Amino acid sequence: MSITGKFDVVVVGAGPAGSAAAYILAKAGFKVLVVERGRGAGSKELFGGKVYAQPLRDIWPDLDKSAPIHRWVTKERFSLVVGERVLTVEYSSPRPVGFTTYLPELAKWMADKAVEAGALLIDEVRVDEIVVKDGRVIGVRSGGDLVEADVVVDAEGVNRLLLEKLGLVERLDPKHIALGVKEVLRTGKGVIEEKLGLGKDEGMAWMVAGDITAGIPGGGFIYTMKDMISIGLVLHVGKAVEAAEKGLLREHVSLLLEKFRLHPYFKRIWGEADIMEYGGHLTIEGGLGLVPKKLAINGLVVVGDAAGLLLNTGYTVRGVDFAATSGRLAAEAIIEAFNNGGPSEENLRVYEDKLKSSFVWRELVRHRGIERVMSDPLFFTKLPRLLIGVMKRLYEADYEEPTILDAFIESTSEEDISLARLLFKLGSVVGKL
Amino acid sequence: MRIVVGIKWVPNTQAVRFDPKTGTLIRQGVPAIVNPHDFPAVELALRLRDAYGGEVIAVSMAPPPAIQGLEHVIGMGVDRAVLLTDRVFAGADTLATSYVLYHGIRRIEKEIGKVDVAVFGQETIDSSTAHIGAQVASWLGWPYVYYVKNAKLDGDRLVVTRQLEDAVEEIAVELPAVISVAMRALKPRPVTLKNKMRAKVEKPIIVWSNKDLGLDPRCVGLKGSPTIVAKVTYLPEVPRKKLVYKPKDPKDAARWILKNLFLDEKTGPLLRKVLWGDSGA
Ligand SMILES: Cc1cc2nc3c(=O)[nH]c(=O)nc-3n(C[C@H](O)[C@H](O)[C@H](O)COP(=O)(O)OP(=O)(O)OC[C@H]3O[C@@H](n4cnc5c(N)ncnc54)[C@H](O)[C@@H]3O)c2cc1C
Repeated sequence: MSITGKFDVVVVGAGPAGSAAAYILAKAGFKVLVVERGRGAGSKELFGGKVYAQPLRDIWPDLDKSAPIHRWVTKERFSLVVGERVLTVEYSSPRPVGFTTYLPELAKWMADKAVEAGALLIDEVRVDEIVVKDGRVIGVRSGGDLVEADVVVDAEGVNRLLLEKLGLVERLDPKHIALGVKEVLRTGKGVIEEKLGLGKDEGMAWMVAGDITAGIPGGGFIYTMKDMISIGLVLHVGKAVEAAEKGLLREHVSLLLEKFRLHPYFKRIWGEADIMEYGGHLTIEGGLGLVPKKLAINGLVVVGDAAGLLLNTGYTVRGVDFAATSGRLAAEAIIEAFNNGGPSEENLRVYEDKLKSSFVWRELVRHRGIERVMSDPLFFTKLPRLLIGVMKRLYEADYEEPTILDAFIESTSEEDISLARLLFKLGSVVGKL
Repeated sequence: MRIVVGIKWVPNTQAVRFDPKTGTLIRQGVPAIVNPHDFPAVELALRLRDAYGGEVIAVSMAPPPAIQGLEHVIGMGVDRAVLLTDRVFAGADTLATSYVLYHGIRRIEKEIGKVDVAVFGQETIDSSTAHIGAQVASWLGWPYVYYVKNAKLDGDRLVVTRQLEDAVEEIAVELPAVISVAMRALKPRPVTLKNKMRAKVEKPIIVWSNKDLGLDPRCVGLKGSPTIVAKVTYLPEVPRKKLVYKPKDPKDAARWILKNLFLDEKTGPLLRKVLWGDSGA
């Protein structure tokens, strides 16, 4: 390989999407350059904690053997929190479909695979511009250096400044994005097994909703790592800004997270564990709102978060497997395009067809509108209050407890919810969850 | 001119934690980096080359992962690098390190060509001795100037600006010479795409082991290191209470802090004693 020649493909960003594309293309014999601004692939990454395994196995069949898997998720929990009252549902299964990991570790593993397959990974270098000439993308520019390629794969993640510069997408609208903040707590290994009732390599994914987000749409998460626990909050940026402007939100997000960590119900698990890491990252609020009008143009395809492909249903998050899958589909489309006369817009748009007939797209369409549900105060504030109210009436009676129906009726009237409206709304939502 | 610049591969001390139980450093999982104080040295070396032509060769005595650091400085524009790596070099103090670097430079002169200037950083973040530049100069028998801020060529001499505490000094030295660049004296240039690609693709890094240098094993590594660290004491980690308070105004904040300090069983008596000579009863 020489550094002066043209590349078949330049991939911007060594996240799950970029590395999946690079891996498949390099394996097929393409001359691939991956440019990553962080020091080493993965260094800029932060996510919650659970990854769906099967879509990754489709790309890397040796996933189970060699990926940095912390624990296989055999228990899922979902909790509603109002003050100190908590309602938790747990599902336990012997057939885990996802595993917990740190994204920096997993992304590095994926990038190493691409390098082993023959891709050239250049880290510590930021791409400043995707270069267009005579109506087609011809390569990327970093500082004064231009590198030419037949196809550029944009895998720059959620904050897609390059696509914005290119005029392919609008400026990121706060309405479509959420801010995630996360702490990693060092609990020691035995603690996780003991306190959460898990086996040796078994893990838990735990989503939390309710007043831990101080009235801002969003929620909390807890994931078990090998000997640490990751906890965090995800907050709707648009609504958080509104709340701050109205003076309803005064606290820094780190303090909200601190409150979550110190919440008596949850703190019992990790106690005074050391905080090993604190970090934040933007993410997509969900839905199809961030998908660009075109996912492929002349000489360019867009994959992963940059393409707006993420699903957050409130009980599960799928970003990494969607990103990697879109990277795979883009790579397959590029290979076909080369076989069919070159990477023209028409040939590259095969990627869109592939994506739209994949599980990624079907999932996104199936749950479309979910982000509107999740930012509806009826669901993220009133519903938890209602259900906790019911539980309180059922379980906190000294002498006589009401019937479930009475508890419901009392609770709805206390929360000023019209039962009819709630049922109607629930009815319209269940189809999206 | 041919310029050699010394690079140390160090643990990122900002990420190192102490194990309070054993009193040792937890280095595991801590990423290594190029000693940040070496960057101004690299920058000066590159500026000299850009101004007068020639080449810059980075040299490092380190285990093989340091190749990553050498790729970084090649990414900045260094022409090539020499890694001096061998198990017998491990555990070296500054004397044994400078001895290996000295022989590394001698070998560069033999294999590649005459060296005009050897540039080092002021000190390293993991040991802060500031010995290496001076020791290498002693081995080589070359003049040594330190706290250097800038340098330019004047005939066959190097005119060096030194940053002193209350003055700036300009002195001329005969070449070849060794200089150490003051911390933060120059802003290092960023890594560029083409340079980093060259580092990865052309791999302009020469690796020499002790087979190549042929040094007496008693003079290198742990065996060649007369320095003994007699004792290391760490300040114990103070368990924090981690209280958070949102004061209305500065006065309120001051009142709250004082109240908590007075009520605390450790700081309370101390404070009373300082303020009123009270034993705390
Ligand atoms: C708080 C939070 C929790 C999440 N939880 C989960 C979860 O539990 N499960 C799940 O599956 N997903 C989760 N996600 C989503 C998941 O992290 C993303 O969907 C996924 O990382 C997207 O992959 P990507 O490759 O598209 O982008 P990224 O992973 O963001 O990678 C983009 C890469 O491009 C690099 N880059 C950007 N711009 C440039 C440039 N100009 N030049 C060079 N390099 C550049 C970046 O440094 C980065 O390495 C979560 C996200 C957040 C923020």
